[in-house]
Amino acid sequence: MREVAIAGVGLVKFGRYDGQKGRPYREIYELGAEAITKALKYADMEWKEIQVAYGASMFGGLGVPNQCTSRIGMPGIPITTLEGACSSSQQAFRQAYYDVANGLYDVALAFGTEKIPPGLIADTLAPVWMLMMGFNLPGMYAIETRRYMEESGATEEDFAWVAVMERKNAIMNPNAFWYQAPELTIEEVLNSREVATPIRFLMACANADGASAAIVCSKEKLKSKSRMVTVVASSHATASYGYDNLGIKIREKGNPTCTELACKQVWEASGYGPEDMDVIQLYEAMAPSFLWDAEQCGFCKPGEAAKLVREGYFEINGKKPANTDGGLLGRGHPTGATGLAQVIELFLQLREEAGPRQVPGAKIGFCHCSGGGPNGVCHILKR
Amino acid sequence: MTTNSGKRQIPCRDGLWTNPTSPGEKPQLIGSQCLHCGEIFFPVNPVCINCQSQSMKEIRLSRRGKIWSYSTIMLPPPQWYKGPVPFDLGYVELPEGVRIWTRLLGAEPGTFKVGQEVELDIDVMQVDKEGNEILGFGFVPVRE
Amino acid sequence: MREVFIAGVGLTKFGRYDGKKGRPRKLYPDLGGEAIAKALKYADMEWKEVEAAFGGTYYGGLGGTHQCVAKVGLTGIPIANVFSGHSSEAALRLAYTRVALGVHDIVLAVGAETLPSGLLDNQSMPVWMRMMGLDVIPAETACHAVRYMKDFGASLEDFARVTVMERKHAVLNPNAMFQKEVTQDEVLQSRMIATPLTLLMNCANADGAAAIIVCCRNKLRSQTKAVTIASIIQTSATYGTAFSGGSLSLSTKLKNPDSVELAAKQTWETSGYGPGEMDVIQIYDPFSPSFLWNVEKCGFCKPGEAPRLLKEGYFEIGGKIPANTDGGIMGRGHPTGATGIAQVAEIFFQLREEAGPRQVKGAKIGFAQGGGAGPQTVITVLKR
Repeated sequence: MREVAIAGVGLVKFGRYDGQKGRPYREIYELGAEAITKALKYADMEWKEIQVAYGASMFGGLGVPNQCTSRIGMPGIPITTLEGACSSSQQAFRQAYYDVANGLYDVALAFGTEKIPPGLIADTLAPVWMLMMGFNLPGMYAIETRRYMEESGATEEDFAWVAVMERKNAIMNPNAFWYQAPELTIEEVLNSREVATPIRFLMACANADGASAAIVCSKEKLKSKSRMVTVVASSHATASYGYDNLGIKIREKGNPTCTELACKQVWEASGYGPEDMDVIQLYEAMAPSFLWDAEQCGFCKPGEAAKLVREGYFEINGKKPANTDGGLLGRGHPTGATGLAQVIELFLQLREEAGPRQVPGAKIGFCHCSGGGPNGVCHILKR
Repeated sequence: MTTNSGKRQIPCRDGLWTNPTSPGEKPQLIGSQCLHCGEIFFPVNPVCINCQSQSMKEIRLSRRGKIWSYSTIMLPPPQWYKGPVPFDLGYVELPEGVRIWTRLLGAEPGTFKVGQEVELDIDVMQVDKEGNEILGFGFVPVRE
Repeated sequence: MREVFIAGVGLTKFGRYDGKKGRPRKLYPDLGGEAIAKALKYADMEWKEVEAAFGGTYYGGLGGTHQCVAKVGLTGIPIANVFSGHSSEAALRLAYTRVALGVHDIVLAVGAETLPSGLLDNQSMPVWMRMMGLDVIPAETACHAVRYMKDFGASLEDFARVTVMERKHAVLNPNAMFQKEVTQDEVLQSRMIATPLTLLMNCANADGAAAIIVCCRNKLRSQTKAVTIASIIQTSATYGTAFSGGSLSLSTKLKNPDSVELAAKQTWETSGYGPGEMDVIQIYDPFSPSFLWNVEKCGFCKPGEAPRLLKEGYFEIGGKIPANTDGGIMGRGHPTGATGIAQVAEIFFQLREEAGPRQVKGAKIGFAQGGGAGPQTVITVLKR
C-alpha cells in the first residue's frame, strides 16, 4: 500500500437551506457541487484530474451524488453512491483512500451532501411493524443512555457539560451550525424540553443541511507538499453477534461493539495508540454518546469520561482536544456530510488552518464515526 | 405576484424564468452561457459542464423551439404532480442549442408531433396548503 | 492485480412476496439472507470466511446490506451499502477490486429488493421537476423510443418482439417471475403506460435477491470449470449525449459517447476481447426498446440493425449471440437492487453449463450489462 495524501477539502457551511424564515433555498446537489468545487480549488486541481468518485447522502435519495458531479462536469468516471447512514461520507472517504492506497487510481474524490427533513428523523433501519409500534431514533439513544447511566454513574448534568463544551467550539467555527451563537449554560441544557427521557433538546444534534468534500491522491499528484497530511490508517467494522441492527446490546455476554472493533483495527494498523493523538473527533449524535464513545475508542477507562469532561480534558486547551469544530451538537449533523466533516476538521487542524480553534502543534489526529447497521469507521491522519 | 383573489403566485423554483415587468413583455427561461466554450445550460449553473470554466453569464433563452420527442403519460406520477392525466412530456430544442425536458401543454394529450414548433408558457400547476398558486413552465403549440 | 473468481452464486425466485393472493410475505432482508445462504452453499464456504460485503437495495432504505447479512451472521466485517438503484453490479465491482488488489480473499456482493407497486419514485430529481411530473421514469425512454422509430424506422412490433423473446426464455428459468409466454399482439394490446410503451414493454416491479461470492484462486474449493472476472467497468454520465437522467438541459451541438458506449469501449480495451467473441450476453433493458439500442451501443451490431437481427432470431437461445437467456428484465422481473447481480449470475450459470434447458452450448465467455441511477453503467465480462 502506498502513502495517500489529502490534496484538498471543501465544506459548505452547515445550516438550513430550506428557503424558510428568510433563509436561502439550495438544492441538495447544489450544496454538494459547491463543496466539490471548493475542494478542487483548495487542491489546485482541475475537475478532469479526478479519476473516480464516491459520494454519499442519507436522505437525498437515489443518484444524488451523480447529480452533484453533473453540475461540474460529466467525464464518465466511476461514481459510486455509498450509504452507511450517519457515517456515509466517511465510508466514501475510505473507498477513495483504498483506491489510491492500492494504486488503482491516483486521484480520487469523496463527498457527502444532505438536506434533512425537519423534526424527528424516520428510521428505515427498523421494519414498518416496529415503526408502527412507535419505535424511533432518540428513543433508542435514550434507552442506551439509561443503561450507560446505570453502569457508569453518569448524570444528566454530565451530558449537559458535553453540550456546553461543543457549543463553545462551534462558536469559533465559521462552517458550524452554531457559529457565533451565544454560549450555552448547564441550566439552559437541563431546562430545555425533553425529547426522550433522559435526553433533552439541547443534548441532541442539530438537524442541519450541508456538504463536505475531500480529494485524496498519491504523493506525486500533490501540487504542494508543504505541511502534507496523509492518511495513516482506515478501518470499518459492523456489528458482531449480540447487537441488534441499531447497535443496542441484546445479549448480556457481549462481543465487542462495532466501535471497539473498528478502533482496535485502526490502532493495530497504524501502530499508534490513543495516547499519541493530538486532536480527536468523536461521534455523538446525542451528548451522552460522546462519553461512551471516548471510552470505547480507548481515550479513557469505562466510566471515566464524565469526570474528564468536567475537568476540561477534551477542550481545545485540554489534554485531548475533541470535536474542536463543535462536533455533531455544535457543527450540526447533515447526516450524509458528517463523516467527512470530521476528517476535514482533523485536516485543517494538522495544517494549522483552524483559526481561533487551532490546537497548537497538532501533528496527528483520530476520528470515529458511527452509523446505522450498525457500523463504525475510523481514520488516523498525520502531518 | 398577487392574483385578484389576493392569493400569491409562487414559481415552483425561483430563477427558472423571468418575470415580465412591462405589459408587452413575456417570460423567458433563464440559462447560463459559458464565456469560454459557448455551451448553454438550463437551469442556471455556476460551472460549465463541458469545459469547467467558471466564467458564466446569465442569458434569456428563446421562447420558441421545436419538439425533439414526446410521450403521452397515462398514469399519475408518483408523488408531487397534481395536474391532469393523461398529459404529455417531451424534449424541446431551442435555437441556442439546448434540449430541455419539459411538459407539453395547450393541446389534447397525444396530439403533439416531432418537429412541431412550440412556445414557452407559464401556468398554475397546483395550489398549496395556504391557497397560494404554484407556477410551472411548459411549452404550448404556436398558434399563428 | 490478481485473478478474481466467482466462487458461488445464490438467487431467490423473482416474483412477488407481498402476502397477497396466497403469495408468501417476505421482506427484502429475508430474501437477501436466503440468496447469501445459497451462494455460500454453492461456494461450499462458511459465513465466517467472508471478509467484507458490498450490496444494495433501491427501496429498502438505510443499512440494506447490513439487514441482509444480519440474517446469516454478525462477524463485524466491513459492510458497505452501494446505493445505485438497479446496478448492484457496482457493488460487485467493489468486491472485485478488494480481491484483485489483495486486500481481501473472499468478498460478498448482494442485492435485494421488495418493491411497492405502480410507478417508482425518481428520488434524485428536485421537487420543482417532480411537481411538473417530469419524474415519470418510463417517459424519458419513451421519448427515445419515438426517436429510435423515427431515426431507424423501427416499429412497435420490434419493441414487442423483445418482450416475446424474453418471456420465451423466462419460461425455461425457474427463478424468473414470468412463467408464461406472450404473443406480439398481447404485448401491443396491453395497457398504454407512456406512449409508445405499453405495460408489457415496461419492466415489472418484482421482489427478489441475488448474491455472488468472489475470491482469489487459492480459496476456490474446486478448480473445475472455474469462472473468472475478465473485466468489470463502471462509468457515469458524459456530457454532450442524448441521454440525461438528470435535471440539466442537454446539448444539441455536441455528440459524445454516452455512459453505455463508454463502458463498452473500455470493456473491449480492458478485457482484450471483442463483441464477436462473446458466447452469451445479458443486455440491460428495463424497457423493451432499450434492448435494441443497448445491444447496438455495446457493439454487437450496427446502429439501427438490432430490430432486423432480433426478428431473424439472432439473439435467441440457439441464435448467433444468445441474449438475456434467463428472461432478461422483461421475463425475469425487475427487483431493482438485485438486477445487476442477477445479470452476472446468469452468465456464471451459462459458463458453468448449469443453465438447464436454456443452456447455450459450449459457452465460454459472456458479457453482462447493468445500469442504474445517475445514470451509470457497469459491464462485466466473465470467462471460464
